[in-house]
Amino acid sequence: MEGFTYVDIFATKGIEYLLVIGFLLGVIGFWAHLARKR
Amino acid sequence: METFTREVKRLVPFLLEELKPKGKVLTPFNLISGFIIVLGLILIVIRFAKGLGAVTNLSQDFPWGLWIGFDVITGVAFAGGAYVLTFAVYVLGAERYHPIIRPTVLNGFLAYVFYAGALLLDLGRPWNVVNPIIGNEFGVSSVLFLVAWHFLLYMLAELVEFSPAVAEWLGARRVWKFLSSLTLGAVIFGITLSTLHQSGLGALFLMAKNKIHPLWYSEFIPILFFVSSIFAGLSIVIIEGTISDRVFKDQISPQHHATYEDIVCGLGKGAAVAMFAYLFLKALVFVHGKHWEHLSGPMGFLYLAEVLGFVLIPMVMYVEGVRSREIKTIRAASILTALGVILNRLNISIIAYNWDAPVRYYPSWMEIEVTLAVIFMEIWAFRWVVNRMPVLREPPEWARGEHDVTAEMAKG
Repeated sequence: MEGFTYVDIFATKGIEYLLVIGFLLGVIGFWAHLARKR
Repeated sequence: METFTREVKRLVPFLLEELKPKGKVLTPFNLISGFIIVLGLILIVIRFAKGLGAVTNLSQDFPWGLWIGFDVITGVAFAGGAYVLTFAVYVLGAERYHPIIRPTVLNGFLAYVFYAGALLLDLGRPWNVVNPIIGNEFGVSSVLFLVAWHFLLYMLAELVEFSPAVAEWLGARRVWKFLSSLTLGAVIFGITLSTLHQSGLGALFLMAKNKIHPLWYSEFIPILFFVSSIFAGLSIVIIEGTISDRVFKDQISPQHHATYEDIVCGLGKGAAVAMFAYLFLKALVFVHGKHWEHLSGPMGFLYLAEVLGFVLIPMVMYVEGVRSREIKTIRAASILTALGVILNRLNISIIAYNWDAPVRYYPSWMEIEVTLAVIFMEIWAFRWVVNRMPVLREPPEWARGEHDVTAEMAKG
């Protein structure tokens, strides 16, 4: 059986995918936050 | 022939009357700005008579200085409000911004004329400026070829967009009708051009990979330039609107005054969303380039100051200002944002360019003086037009009452 290895999130550009997903989700919330008046 | 003679007889005395100054001449602003303009013109004559070295600190290591970095690259980013606003009004149908379309398009047109004109000051052989148009072995794969053509075409597009106001000023009804029918096409053409030349100005730096500090250089500079031009333009529209609201308040109708707060909040909202996207793009570029070790040291601090102090903080201010409808907060955010765009453009073109060179570039007082002269000349031109043509004030009855071709086509 192969040994367990951690995925290098930098080498796999995983963090960049997370950033983009974060932006796409975040922009919806950001727009809703802007549209709500205090 | 008779109509032509009659029109000439009407227009000539009218134009001579319009050439006279409106309002007080010897105001503190006129005296100070007039002195700066005159001195700037003298320096421009010296520059052309004796060469760039007589007036600037430019060199082979630093061929682009304040005139390109600020006048051209920052100035064109600031003129981005025109394409953003025309997109909002004519494509998205956001009619509530219609009252500010004319001053924004005028501002954008004058910005391109004066700042692209300032480009002539920086050319070693300014008589070659026609080469992108006539050929003469000018490289068509050069980004500058694209930028040159785009500037020319965009100035023409903005002139067509603004031309109905000129026709209203001259009382030329038939010409007004024809020009109004061209507006929508000119707007769409202008928006298309803008997306490319705003990013094209960033693309000019793609070849300088070994010269620009890694924190600012990336293959995504064109996209960052384009996105930042959106909130740069909107911020300048807010600043210009604030100043015009005070200086030209007698021209603005009570109806438009009432919508001012709504307009500013809307512009702030647009700027905040663009800045949100920009921050994520900056983070993406940073992570992609693995720039962590560059954050220490003076350039790292400058980078963090630019991104956090002049993008993140004004974005938060815009959000707070829009949510609580605090116009003062939105105005403060617009000033910080504009300063941030200036810092970003100067970082890429001057400060982080050849940042490790033993001899650094600093603009001479003459370069700063000429830059101020160009800015004040643009302000004088803007004021001249606004005081005479229906830019802030309502158009004449015949232009209001007649079928608004542009609005109908935009709705259709």
